[in-house]
Amino acid sequence: MSEPGHWFEREPLWFKTAVFYEIHLRGFYDGNDDGSGDFRGLTDKLDYLQEIGIDCLWLLPSYPSPLRDGGYDIADFFAIHPDYGTIDDFKFFIDQAHQRGLRVISDLVMNHTSSDHPWFQASRAEPDGPYGDWYVWGDDDQRWSEARIIFIDTEPSNWTWDPVRGQYYWHRFFSHQPDLNYDNPEVQEQMLNVLRFWLDLGLDGFRLDAVPYLFERDGTNGENLPETHAFLKRVRAEVDARYQDRVLLAEANQWPGDVVQYFGDGDECHMAFHFPVMPRMFMGVRREDALPIIEILEQTPPIPDSAQWGLFLRNHDELTLEMVTDEERDYLYEEYAKDPRMKLNLGIRRRLAPLLDNGRAEIELMHAMLFSLPGSPVLYYGDEIGMGDNVFLGDRDGVRTPMQWTGDRNGGFSRADFAQLYLPPLMDPVYGYQAVNVEAQLRQPNSLLRWLRRLIALRKQHPVFGLGTYEALRPDNPRIFAHVRTYEDDIVLCVHNLARSAQAVELDLSRYEGLIPVEMFGQTPFPRIGELTYLLTLGPRGFFWFQLKKEGSV
Amino acid sequence: MSERELIEFVTAQRWFASKLRDVTHASVVDRAMLRDADPSLELQLVEIRFDTGTHETYQLLTNGGLDALSDPRQVRELVHMIRSGVKLPADEGIVEFGPVEGIAAVGQELREARAIDTEQSNTSIVFDEELILKVFRRLEPGINPELELLRFLTERGFENIAQLAGWYAYSGRPMDTTLGILQRFIPGGEDGWEFALDAMHSDTERFMGTLRRLGEVTGRMHSVLGSEPDDPNFAPEAPSSESLGLLTATIDDEIESVFLELPDGNDDVAPIRGRGEEVRERLRLWTQVGDIGRVIRHHGDFHLGQTLWCDDDWVILDFEGEPARALPERRRKRSPLRDVAGMLRSFAYAATASGILRGSEPPDGWEARARHEFLEGYRETVDHVLVPSGSAMDKLLAVFELEKSVYELRYELNNRPDWVKIPVAGIVRMLDEEVVF
Repeated sequence: MSEPGHWFEREPLWFKTAVFYEIHLRGFYDGNDDGSGDFRGLTDKLDYLQEIGIDCLWLLPSYPSPLRDGGYDIADFFAIHPDYGTIDDFKFFIDQAHQRGLRVISDLVMNHTSSDHPWFQASRAEPDGPYGDWYVWGDDDQRWSEARIIFIDTEPSNWTWDPVRGQYYWHRFFSHQPDLNYDNPEVQEQMLNVLRFWLDLGLDGFRLDAVPYLFERDGTNGENLPETHAFLKRVRAEVDARYQDRVLLAEANQWPGDVVQYFGDGDECHMAFHFPVMPRMFMGVRREDALPIIEILEQTPPIPDSAQWGLFLRNHDELTLEMVTDEERDYLYEEYAKDPRMKLNLGIRRRLAPLLDNGRAEIELMHAMLFSLPGSPVLYYGDEIGMGDNVFLGDRDGVRTPMQWTGDRNGGFSRADFAQLYLPPLMDPVYGYQAVNVEAQLRQPNSLLRWLRRLIALRKQHPVFGLGTYEALRPDNPRIFAHVRTYEDDIVLCVHNLARSAQAVELDLSRYEGLIPVEMFGQTPFPRIGELTYLLTLGPRGFFWFQLKKEGSV
Repeated sequence: MSERELIEFVTAQRWFASKLRDVTHASVVDRAMLRDADPSLELQLVEIRFDTGTHETYQLLTNGGLDALSDPRQVRELVHMIRSGVKLPADEGIVEFGPVEGIAAVGQELREARAIDTEQSNTSIVFDEELILKVFRRLEPGINPELELLRFLTERGFENIAQLAGWYAYSGRPMDTTLGILQRFIPGGEDGWEFALDAMHSDTERFMGTLRRLGEVTGRMHSVLGSEPDDPNFAPEAPSSESLGLLTATIDDEIESVFLELPDGNDDVAPIRGRGEEVRERLRLWTQVGDIGRVIRHHGDFHLGQTLWCDDDWVILDFEGEPARALPERRRKRSPLRDVAGMLRSFAYAATASGILRGSEPPDGWEARARHEFLEGYRETVDHVLVPSGSAMDKLLAVFELEKSVYELRYELNNRPDWVKIPVAGIVRMLDEEVVF
């Protein structure tokens, strides 16, 4: 059993106070000059990631794949895509990351494989062979019609005819991604082997892609079925029995009431993404109204103490609008996707900075809210410097362009010829690498990157953000999102102004009478909390975080 | 010990690192009985929790509830165990002792034992003036860089160190960590810092005459540390495109935060109060440098107090790195000029300290001469691939000197308020200097 714990304090709940960083390996750094990012390149950038305060990297799939879906179409679960390097490169990378106190989780797609996978090829060629029952086959395409189609822009049905086998196969995503048949115990066992293989190499856990869809049952929509939860509990038990301090992060793009099922009683996934909170933060900022955020958090059921939400502003997919009402979706499209090219499926394929019109105050405000909410923040590579997107690239490639390291050729991403790059780097005057890059922002004390680094450092001094209770304040001014987090002796008050204009707010802090709010960035003591409501004024899109301290300790 | 007593005991120790923070809890997270018979010796890993919920872990050695290290003779047992290479169970892990062949057996009998009273962050005990045991107090997961570097330098025959004789380490549920190291003790050596101050007036030439050699030893140490391209932990690396930016950002943030935290009403910091922006402006000027050489493992906390003048040569001590920095940071490869700057700052420290501690200002040009002698020796011996040349070297040295003085300022504010005026003077002097390119 390989133990990554050598460089860490043993802490089963490490993920609750961690800052995650999502990396598109192909786009991060090219270590062998072939135009495509790889593990050697990523290893070279570990100091950077450590220095900006990241605790855990989340890697998009790096398995062999025909790359028809960014690697989520896996053709071999036990190897590394040759573009990215070798298993040895991967092991060296993991060791170097651990030595720097960085953990690593990787995407794992359990629901389906690429149609190129040898299992599928065997399954279609030999229906009675050893793999004949590894996928979900049917004689007609009418069964399970209650199941929705997820990629509505490209897929007319969840069934596709296979001329080789002469049957339809089931797929919840692209037609080149046949669903594995989890009713076959061999499939379950093999998937556990996949998990063990990577955990034995030192990986700290998985982001489990598309977990709600593992099983299919008549008369259901095929999502969140009891059988799926039972299998995930088996995965968790296996991980807990053999490994220490690993994490399973579920991607279940569902309503909070359904997602909490993925935590079980603390015996299923350690973490799950909270999808619905993110569109409501964008809505809140656009409408200057805290209510959508407060409401979605109110509708979020409590979770086990050992579990944690994963929170994010943007990721490698489109900004998904599945978990909003039709009316809200129309509003968000109207406000954030004025160009129809920006829409994809039920979402908006744009990066954070362009979504917020590159407004620095808005970007800071969104990060402040993200970091203050109960959960662990997940940053998306490039958003820490305010990278832009390229809507002219197909599918989700527009938000997966090369990381912009310097103002030099290819943005410092690769020494290969421009024509060899997997995607062109951004070169426009606002978001291009000459205007937006790591090197320049490190040297500018007031850059977004430097600000975010300070925010991360501050958050890490206060485990309350990851571990504390959350209590919304409901001031009369609806433009103010204010809440209190409490953990052990640490009480933190977070007040955010969603409005474009300066605002005053009176907060009922009577429960904290006698305490002194100390502003956390500058350590400035504010007036003592008295019997009356506490008056604060905030600049446009401004925010304050206060530690509430006893009088003698300020 | 009750929790209250444990908190009181730990927080009162000189080696307790976080004196300015509020401790709320203390608990023993693992323990191992190292010796049952009287006098007994128990190892405890003590977790100290702060009001914000963060924590630090410390090593205690106790004898029936009392601090065993208060009587250094009780610690002989640790040396015996290192020599025999035993493994002992703890409640949640194991304690492993390891000897270095041929050196651990030095001074067989262990008769006399005395504590070193100048230790700040650890506890060191000398046995028969032949071996010295350093007990690490604040524990962090991972191998201690001192063990790593001493082993590397010992294996490569670098002579200007006190050879590694053994170590002991813990691995278990809370963490894997180095607990202590045993080294050959170098008797009769003259501490470099004391030597500088003692000789400041009476024997200036004798001290100056040794500094070229100190530069040579430093240069050779760096050449050896950067000589192993196949060992990933030591292989010299070309700095990445953002490494100078990271350096700038890190120092700049440290300047900002230390200036933010300057205590009101402290007259000693008055000369720099409100001048943080000026300091940051200097940093921006100096970091406009192209070539920065290579990044390598290095000493990490290099100053006169880490050297001994002995038998007409210098010995380099204490490879732990700066105690206030986290272990992954202390293990990071950086330019070897960081060590050089540390020593240059130390000359400045000595020059100022002479006035403060001994009531006598240094002779005219003392510091400039010391710098010159040391740098001459360094430039002659260091592998030139490792360091930039010409004005790039001067600027990078200035950057690291600034980093060091900001670190000193924070350290003195937290630990030795009477000494705050030394880094303050250093910063003022840097600000008053002409910027030359």
